[in-house]
Amino acid sequence: MRGPVMKIEDIAVRYGDCWSIRSATITLEPGVIHAILGENGAGKSTLLKAAAGFAPRVAGTVRIEDGRGFGAQDAAGDPKPQAWTNAIGMVHQHFMLVSAFTALENLVLGSEPTGSFGRLDLAKARREAEALMETTGLRVNLDARTSDLAVGERQRLEILRVLYRGARAILLDEPTAVLSPLEAEELYTTLGALAEGGATIAVVTHRMDEVLRFAGHVTIMRRGRTVLSRPITADERDHPKRLEDELTRAIMGGEPPPEASPPALAEDAEVALSIEDLVLVDAAGKRVLDGLCLAVKKGEIVGIAGIEGNGQRELVRAVAGLEPGVAGSIVLGGARLPAVRSTEDLRKRRRAIAVVHEDRHADGLMLDATVGDNLVLGELGQIDGPAAEAALIKRRIDRFGVNPPDAARRAGELSGGNQQKVVVGRALDRIEASPERALVVLGQPTRGVDVGAAATIHGAIVAAAEKGLAVLVVSADLGELRRLAHRILVLHRGRIVTELPPTSSDDVIGRAMLGMEDA
Amino acid sequence: MSSIFSLTMLAESIRIAVPYTCAAIGGVWAERAGVIQIGLEGILLTGAFTAVAVTHATNSPTLGLVAAIAAGVALSLGHGQLTERARVHAVISGIALNLFALAATRMGLRALYDSASNSPGIEAYRFGPTGATGGAMLLRVLADPVFFLALAAVAATPFLLQRTRFGLRVRAAGENPVAAASVGIAVTRVRLTALAVSGAICALGGAHLAYDQQRFESGMSAGRGFIALAAVVVSGWRAGRAALACLAFGTLEALQIVLQDEVRKTAIGDLIQTLPYVATLLVLALAPRRAGAPEGLGKHAAD
Ligand SMILES: Nc1ncnc2c1ncn2[C@@H]1O[C@H](COP(=O)(O)OP(=O)(O)O)[C@@H](O)[C@H]1O
Ligand SMILES: [Mg+2]
Repeated sequence: MRGPVMKIEDIAVRYGDCWSIRSATITLEPGVIHAILGENGAGKSTLLKAAAGFAPRVAGTVRIEDGRGFGAQDAAGDPKPQAWTNAIGMVHQHFMLVSAFTALENLVLGSEPTGSFGRLDLAKARREAEALMETTGLRVNLDARTSDLAVGERQRLEILRVLYRGARAILLDEPTAVLSPLEAEELYTTLGALAEGGATIAVVTHRMDEVLRFAGHVTIMRRGRTVLSRPITADERDHPKRLEDELTRAIMGGEPPPEASPPALAEDAEVALSIEDLVLVDAAGKRVLDGLCLAVKKGEIVGIAGIEGNGQRELVRAVAGLEPGVAGSIVLGGARLPAVRSTEDLRKRRRAIAVVHEDRHADGLMLDATVGDNLVLGELGQIDGPAAEAALIKRRIDRFGVNPPDAARRAGELSGGNQQKVVVGRALDRIEASPERALVVLGQPTRGVDVGAAATIHGAIVAAAEKGLAVLVVSADLGELRRLAHRILVLHRGRIVTELPPTSSDDVIGRAMLGMEDA
Repeated sequence: MSSIFSLTMLAESIRIAVPYTCAAIGGVWAERAGVIQIGLEGILLTGAFTAVAVTHATNSPTLGLVAAIAAGVALSLGHGQLTERARVHAVISGIALNLFALAATRMGLRALYDSASNSPGIEAYRFGPTGATGGAMLLRVLADPVFFLALAAVAATPFLLQRTRFGLRVRAAGENPVAAASVGIAVTRVRLTALAVSGAICALGGAHLAYDQQRFESGMSAGRGFIALAAVVVSGWRAGRAALACLAFGTLEALQIVLQDEVRKTAIGDLIQTLPYVATLLVLALAPRRAGAPEGLGKHAAD
């Protein structure tokens, strides 16, 4: 059964007085994986939402045609036909699952099989789900509480739900941003099989290597327009360099920035940060940090790789002084950091250490405050008057290319990547100005960030190292670690299990991340 | 002391627990759907007044009951319109509902019966044996149609919430309205339907209160809606446990009445009156904080 051909013609979407999409035209044919790339805020998410019928379209048409005679067209403003909801499934960037439900309940939500009196027929749902898992190879524990599922499993559940509703077109918004490299690989294998089976598949991503390896068609969005949309031939896939350059130029609207590389490291650089035997036990009694040791020299960039949930978040928080229950020692610049007992202690620590937490919504931003306020968050009383503050905000916006460059906008309205620029920009810019600067700790510094912005952030990280700061980068993006770091440490079950040179292959690092000692 | 373990005591406990239980089940329906509802008190009071006024006018307690339920549904839906469509904060809307109910029933008393304190007596349901023995009292309590409806509501609620499509959608709306909307569920409609159920069950409690006294008294709900809300919280938003908590409260109140009879005129009499409330405070203080609260309580599908 073939999926529908989706023709999106010259659509425009506006939120308030902000145009998310000015003009986008794209045809999604079944059979191949369509990749959609573009800078943060280019309108990729909005494009998918418009296609799935979730976005307020002000112009243009979306047409769906499939071989079975189902043809539907909706001009702007028309309500979408009922069949639409089921024909096209979307996997949102932030999962749309009820965490208190079982996986099975989430699977059926919205299209529940019922018996008499509206009674749920979960047995029937289970049979159908099992059959679906059998044919697609997407495995989920149907009886688990959704909040207990790992990220990858939740994503499989979302895809299963879309298929369960009978969708033959699946639109995924940055599905690999939250996955480990191995999981991402599996995802593309599944999507490839679905496409082969005739489904229509579109994927938004920031990772160029995924496009080069898996996509059969690519579309680039820039500032609310589709600027390039063309198939990728097998020939190009064998020699990806030229294609990569072409795509990067289209994404950035100009020449790509030079790739970052770690600065030269002096042989005799002294150790800046040394962590000994860090132990942290969580509320459930699990040792999330389990005797972790590491050292970083002045001017050195050390990368931390690991599968999500192996202690990355806690390591960053412990160094930041936010985990009062942590045991072990953290020595910075020869002096052991005292436990944080007051806000004054915390401030003192932050004059020496810049921290970016991996979850920008929970730990980095006030979504309801303005971009400007967020950019100087935590510097109350340290800036010399409103004029200086405005200048500082403007400098940070310009330096990190926050888009739109509007300090008065609510931070929650920025696209994810631009929110990330705010968080990283604030931390790096501040520490460089601090006389006591010693260390930068970054959790997922470029998660969900486009190529251009990632280059800016990488540049700033390298600049910090060049100034003699020790840098610790935790990242799920192995390419990023390989490009930036002098050394890669692999974190597994709360401790460092291996040290690898940045030249190691994905495979080697991946095996170490799984805790296979022989890696 | 034998009076503590007697059929009389059991009958009293159940009788007292019914209004609390109805309000608590109403609270469960509203809040599991994601709507904060502190207006249970007002719905109890309005239900009581409507039941009495209509029974007084028609001589039919059944018509009174139907009218009370209609009034409860209307008030609850009004709360829903304010919070879900006009996006008034649910706490504000709930306070307004309570104040409105208090004022409106007072005004009704004045207008209909020219009284500031209470209505004239009415002839409510009379089933079961007469007599003052414990057994007779218990049978009278159990044979009351309002009690029967309340029992049905308690029994049906967990089933409806857990095992039906409607229940699943109500819980989805309460846990994560954004996710529910994304799979095509009309969150506002689901919430309003749940609020209608909530208002109906809560008003049932009001009618029970009034029929029990055979008249309406100004402010006769006397904080029961808030105690019921406490029961909802300690139960972790689960109907069965909330009903048990209300029964426990009813038992304490019955105990308090019995004990007061025994120690009348001693100084601790007043202290004993506070027993149920002190117990509620203790349980609330010791209960795990907000465990089991719907995650989307007070949140909306779209801003
Ligand atoms: N709900 C919304 N309200 C206001 N502005 C929005 C909303 N959604 C998106 N935008 C704006 O539309 C633009 C495009 O956003 P989006 O499609 O999320 O970009 P992308 O997914 O390419 O990063 C951004 O400038 C963003 O700020
Ligand atoms: Mg996006």
